[in-house]
Amino acid sequence: MTAVPDVLESSVALTVAPTPTKARIELRNASRWYGNVVAVNDVSCTLGAGITGVLGPNGAGKSTVLSMIAGLLSPSAGEVLIDGHAASGRPDVYRTLALVPEREAVHGFLTGYEFVRMSARLQQLDDVDGAAARAIALVDLESAQHRRIGTYSKGMRQRIKIAGALVHDPQILLLDEPFNGMDPRQRIQMMGVMRGLAADGRVVVISSHILEELNDLATNVLVMVSGRLAASGHFREIRRLMTDRPHTFTIRSSNDRELAAALLGDASVFGVELTSGGILLRTADRGALTRHLPRTAKAAGIRLLEIRPTDESLESVFSYLVER
Amino acid sequence: MNGPIDSTVAWLTWRQLFARRRLYLAAAFSLAPFLIAVVFRLTAGDVEGSSAGFFMTLCSEIVIGTLLPLAALVFGTTAFGGEIDDGTLVYLLVKPIARWRVVVSKYIVAVACTAAVMVPSIVLPWLIVRNPDLPSTVPLAFLAAVGVASAIYCALFLALGLSTRRALVLGLLYVIGLEMIFSRTFAGLRSLSVREFALSIAETVGNTLVRFNQPTVPMSTVWTMGAILLVGTLAFSIRSLARYEVAERL
Repeated sequence: MTAVPDVLESSVALTVAPTPTKARIELRNASRWYGNVVAVNDVSCTLGAGITGVLGPNGAGKSTVLSMIAGLLSPSAGEVLIDGHAASGRPDVYRTLALVPEREAVHGFLTGYEFVRMSARLQQLDDVDGAAARAIALVDLESAQHRRIGTYSKGMRQRIKIAGALVHDPQILLLDEPFNGMDPRQRIQMMGVMRGLAADGRVVVISSHILEELNDLATNVLVMVSGRLAASGHFREIRRLMTDRPHTFTIRSSNDRELAAALLGDASVFGVELTSGGILLRTADRGALTRHLPRTAKAAGIRLLEIRPTDESLESVFSYLVER
Repeated sequence: MNGPIDSTVAWLTWRQLFARRRLYLAAAFSLAPFLIAVVFRLTAGDVEGSSAGFFMTLCSEIVIGTLLPLAALVFGTTAFGGEIDDGTLVYLLVKPIARWRVVVSKYIVAVACTAAVMVPSIVLPWLIVRNPDLPSTVPLAFLAAVGVASAIYCALFLALGLSTRRALVLGLLYVIGLEMIFSRTFAGLRSLSVREFALSIAETVGNTLVRFNQPTVPMSTVWTMGAILLVGTLAFSIRSLARYEVAERL
């Protein structure tokens, strides 16, 4: 996407910082195409410990990227590396990597316990029963573990899939739309599990179309647009690099009208609007504003009550990148 | 866990193959010849004189000619086809198991299930109609034939299940077209028919004439063509799964 070159050029700098953990995902100029259709185009990024959200509209290439990281799809060009080794064609990679697919289908004829235990056995764990019990407890599904999965609700299926993925305590966890079908309580609980894994040094990559989920959860984001990586990093950092888009702040003070008039004389300010909630201010130079605003207010004898950026949400950043 | 068969994959496949309706289908495959034999026993006038001919026809036409390929078709295509259709195959693919072991494990289970379902379809009718003209070598010969034919059929249908989502329909066309019609009509096609291989094995092992008026395929052809079909289709399946990619949404 050439529309946001400033962000793209800086994507390497914004890449999630490598951490002391051994687990590491690298995409080096990874592309994937099907015939004439380019699904993923020249994506480079490095993912370390913490939670990374993969964002993008439908068809942006999120699932293709996740499939390539999971080794289920080979890149047509470039490389996808897990801990420095190719992701695809290496069954051993699944000792450290786990995937929770988006598709709801799970073996409906197995009980939840049988499914998780099967995952533990396929991972060749020593304490199969103990690992299965721990994973089921982690997703709070003990009460339904001996029921057939075919009788589970969508949210319960999601949780048993997560239990199956966590049973071998993976260093890398890939989740495609993991919160689908979960009620708010379950969602909060699972987010707690994800945060715990991230805090423990695991690499957690979550693809989701629900921005609020990632807003609360993801330390970093990869924004995919039309198969390309439009931006990567912390979404507030990405927002700051969007220099061609004015920053918007809501300011409350002891005298909004007088402060608005004073701010109009500031060269860094090019829009001021008085609203019922205070002053809505637009600036192209965030740094200059934060330096000038306190001085201007002090000179006018006005007390600042609140300064709040209104367009630094993940949704705002995402909308901007996608619309460009 | 280090042999060619992964016991967990085998267990999962076994659970899949006998899930719900397929269990009833397997029971029907097993018991249909028994019921036919019971009806024969109750209605035939000269049971002693005609039971050998009845048993030979039952085994060669009904069991080997019809039920065996259908059972192998169901088990062989379902071993992978079901998981590909509903997307659950991904749970096996993201585990630290070589894909060739997944293929071999599923294949062995499909063969074992097919053969196991066919055993009662031969043994039970024999128990009903047995007499001095039908020594135990006859059902044993048919069981040997069923074992070899199950191995070849399942390799064929496993490969079909991995290749296309219409495996059941295409497999049915193969069974009806080649095995039931063309190989009986055109002598040249017998060297490609697994049913003919099975009948040749039964005849050779049992040292008795299984088919009447029609020569069976020479054993050299049976072993050569059988080995080519079995090894070729298994190698194809292993290669297909090794290259299998999850291209759609996960």
